[in-house]
Amino acid sequence: MAKAMLIDVNKCIGCRACQVACKQWHELPAEETTNRGTYENPPDLSADTWTKVIFKEFGENGTLRWLFRKEQCMHCTDPACVNVCPAGALTRHPSLGFIIYNRQRCTGCGYCVEFCPFLIPRMDKESNKLLGSGRMGGKCDFCYDRVSHGLEPACAKACPTGAIKFGERDELVIEGRERVIELQKTHPDANFYGEHELGGLHMMYVLDEHPEIYDLPVNPEMPAAATALNVGEWTGVGLGLLAGAGMLGAAMVARARMIAEEKKNGKE
Amino acid sequence: MEKNKKEQGLIASIFGTIGDIIGTFIHDILFDDPGRPGVMRFSLPARTFHWTVAILVVLLGVTGLILFVPGWGVAGLACWTRITHRVCAYVFGTVLVLYFVTYRKNSLSYIKESFTWKREYLGWLRAAIDYYTGGDESKMPPQEHINPGQKIWQLTTIICGVILFVTGAILCFAKGAVAPGVFQWSLFTHALAFIIGGCMLIVHAILGTIHPRMSESLRSIITGKVSEEYAKNHYGKWYEEISK
Repeated sequence: MAKAMLIDVNKCIGCRACQVACKQWHELPAEETTNRGTYENPPDLSADTWTKVIFKEFGENGTLRWLFRKEQCMHCTDPACVNVCPAGALTRHPSLGFIIYNRQRCTGCGYCVEFCPFLIPRMDKESNKLLGSGRMGGKCDFCYDRVSHGLEPACAKACPTGAIKFGERDELVIEGRERVIELQKTHPDANFYGEHELGGLHMMYVLDEHPEIYDLPVNPEMPAAATALNVGEWTGVGLGLLAGAGMLGAAMVARARMIAEEKKNGKE
Repeated sequence: MEKNKKEQGLIASIFGTIGDIIGTFIHDILFDDPGRPGVMRFSLPARTFHWTVAILVVLLGVTGLILFVPGWGVAGLACWTRITHRVCAYVFGTVLVLYFVTYRKNSLSYIKESFTWKREYLGWLRAAIDYYTGGDESKMPPQEHINPGQKIWQLTTIICGVILFVTGAILCFAKGAVAPGVFQWSLFTHALAFIIGGCMLIVHAILGTIHPRMSESLRSIITGKVSEEYAKNHYGKWYEEISK
């Protein structure tokens, strides 16, 4: 059955153990960064950073709160990246529900980067601007290797406060809803994110503030251009075959009729 | 020749047709007699340009198609399609600009010809379906240098060409610089122009090579010449004009 992770931002203390665990398990190199005056580091997801904690300073009515949210691939049920990937490098695991990236198949077109409603995938550094950019560097793979061997994902394993929970999606949905009801007593804007978005995400959040405050899109949707492209692909193939078959047919009919005409004229 | 041909099997006729096309190429490139009677339809630069573009378009089309047809993308391994596609596009752009600069008169007349439309063409377009399925030839009104069907094709090459170049440049150079929405719809428009242009290219190629009505069109774009009779039948107005 579909697995998922439930991220309770209210329990997150911004320790970034998940970031380190992810790097360690996937053997991703560290990045050299400069001090930007924030604990948030590195500044952005990258080809070598598949998850990171976003730090937010949020002030309301003279109070200041420090908000944390772990950011990574959301593993949508209706994934735009899979829809537009021409090479079949991105696929959705039919039963577990994860979006898996196969680097060997990737042609580096970068459509996934441009179509993801959550702006998650990142490309490798461009090797040649004229001939095209590098491949997608990779993204959260839900520790598919660990999960398929009965282990929990590295980030969930490392989380010291239980902010990241791994389990059956159905159970986590119930748990998330209950947690939101409890949180609403102290945080009136508390909400559950990811239950229905894009067919249901496999990374769900218990948020204590409005999604926009956590840089999450409200009602993310499949880009219309992705749907249009999918329709266009089959329509285009059909039209091409129709044009070819139609013209070949016309040529054959014309030939037959012209030969018949010639014979008739010849007899007269 | 045609009369002696008995009814043959479908496979034999397919091979026969392919053989005819290859034979025409070999014969016309190697053994054509330049002094052969006939009228000149396409100049040497125009023909060279046509075949250069033809090769580039086929390469661009195939490499594009691999990323377009669902399930074919696996053939795009190691990015060879993307690199070929881009290199061909750069060569195409360069060839296009060079040809336009060198043969400005030819190029401008091609554009002017494509955009000049008259009400009387409707009559040709109506009669065309019957004509191209072997109907009565005498019903076709006499034509200028190219007929309205060929005008539609020329117009397609210009419009789809411009769209493909502009959206292609956005996809190629502006990735990440433009808003994702602009990139997404550029990709769709690129695909749309490819579908329209590709379908028209299929029609153009079949009419130009194997359709019995256009018996001398392949020769004319290789050697430049058509027989006087063919010119009279297919391009009556034009023939009158040039034989004045």
